[in-house]
Amino acid sequence: MTTTDTARPLLDIRGLRKNFGAVEILKGVDLSLRPKDVVSIIGSSGSGKTTLLRCVNLLEEFQGGDIILDGETIGYKTVGGKRVRLRDAELSRQRAMTGMVFQSFNLFPHLTAAGNVMLGLRKVKKLGKEEAFVIAEKWLNRVGLGARLEHYPSQLSGGQQQRVAIARALAMNPKLVLLDEVTSALDPELVQEVLTTIKSIADDGATLLIVTHEMRFAREVSSRIVFMEQGRIAEEGTPAEIFGEGRSQRLNEFLKSSRH
Amino acid sequence: MDAFLAQLWIARWPIFDGFLMTLGISAGTIVFGTILGCIVGIQLVFAPLWLRLPFRAYVDIMRGTPLLVLILAAFYIPAVLGLSLSAAQAGTLALGLFAGAHIGELLRGSLQAIPPGQIEAGRSIGLTFPQILANVLLPQALRTSLPPWINTGVELIKGSSLLSMIGVGELLLKTQEVIGRNFMTIQFYVFAGVLYLVVNIALDMLGKSMERRLGARQ
Repeated sequence: MTTTDTARPLLDIRGLRKNFGAVEILKGVDLSLRPKDVVSIIGSSGSGKTTLLRCVNLLEEFQGGDIILDGETIGYKTVGGKRVRLRDAELSRQRAMTGMVFQSFNLFPHLTAAGNVMLGLRKVKKLGKEEAFVIAEKWLNRVGLGARLEHYPSQLSGGQQQRVAIARALAMNPKLVLLDEVTSALDPELVQEVLTTIKSIADDGATLLIVTHEMRFAREVSSRIVFMEQGRIAEEGTPAEIFGEGRSQRLNEFLKSSRH
Repeated sequence: MDAFLAQLWIARWPIFDGFLMTLGISAGTIVFGTILGCIVGIQLVFAPLWLRLPFRAYVDIMRGTPLLVLILAAFYIPAVLGLSLSAAQAGTLALGLFAGAHIGELLRGSLQAIPPGQIEAGRSIGLTFPQILANVLLPQALRTSLPPWINTGVELIKGSSLLSMIGVGELLLKTQEVIGRNFMTIQFYVFAGVLYLVVNIALDMLGKSMERRLGARQ
């Protein structure tokens, strides 16, 4: 039972193609995550890694391929042999299955930390105020911000804001969490608190798909690492394989250049 | 001064009626204009092009036409079309349409100033677009719209004096009627001016205190 459960992919991306006008961003990406996988995507900017995440969260339209989340094809349906984008309500339901944490936090500035976490619980999960607050409190405690429930985003540091954003995503109990360069907008001294939070969530068994420039972090936290180049997956392997000997020259050059 | 006060006492009810009419029309047009402006502002930002264009045309026409011309148009055009509006109804319609365009335009600016990341964050937790609008975008946009919204309110109160031109018995017309009887021209115009000033200052102070309250929460 358990072996078939974990063998079935939670996320299955097949032949994903995406272009902005004439520019091809993703040229046929295949990627599959099983439950509890932690997969980091590395690669130089413009390689398509952020676009890939945004496609999985249906923030971008894509022109070819399928994204299958927990057995359900998301974003599009086929009507009379034609591929059609789903309606807003349907997209929203599917988006709620994944959580996303953004590079620029994107907290709601008019709501407190607790209010930010509660909004989805109340409007999407339709929970009552008290119930939503209890969950918000639990998750803000979990990211170490139990004392900041009633603080507004502007009263929090960048690292604290990003941890609220992580709590906001996780409180919705998503099947998969997408993390898009979550430390890139942070001052260096604030990076570690956010990475530590993500590490502990990964240790709890969350399924994570991470886009990052933090190579040491990717190596520590990932079960697998994917190296993207020019809209394709160029290499994929365990951290030992990716960071060890025997990698390609392109990956070698990338790793060398990303070491500051 | 005693003579003026004596005349003011005699004229107290007409002036009071006019003052109430000014307040009533102003409040009515602010409410009507705000509701209309919310619809217009949202359409200007989020509607597809074919739907956006008529709203754009409406806003540009209202903003590009003198308020007095709008008032006269609202007074004469419905009559030609066989609709019978009272002068007060026509005047309220003109002021309301004018306010709707201005509030719509200022809300458009506030909505467009919100970073796109806010919509994406709303989407990522599974909110539908109407939910994002109600819970994420409008609370932020209405907050930044507050100071110019108060300005529009002040403009409407002052603009309501133009309704005297079509015979609406608001403060200015009532004042002119009183002057017609007692010929104390300067005294009564100054008095009317002071009443407008008091109302506008009160509205301004209300706006400032709302701003402070909202500002303290962010």
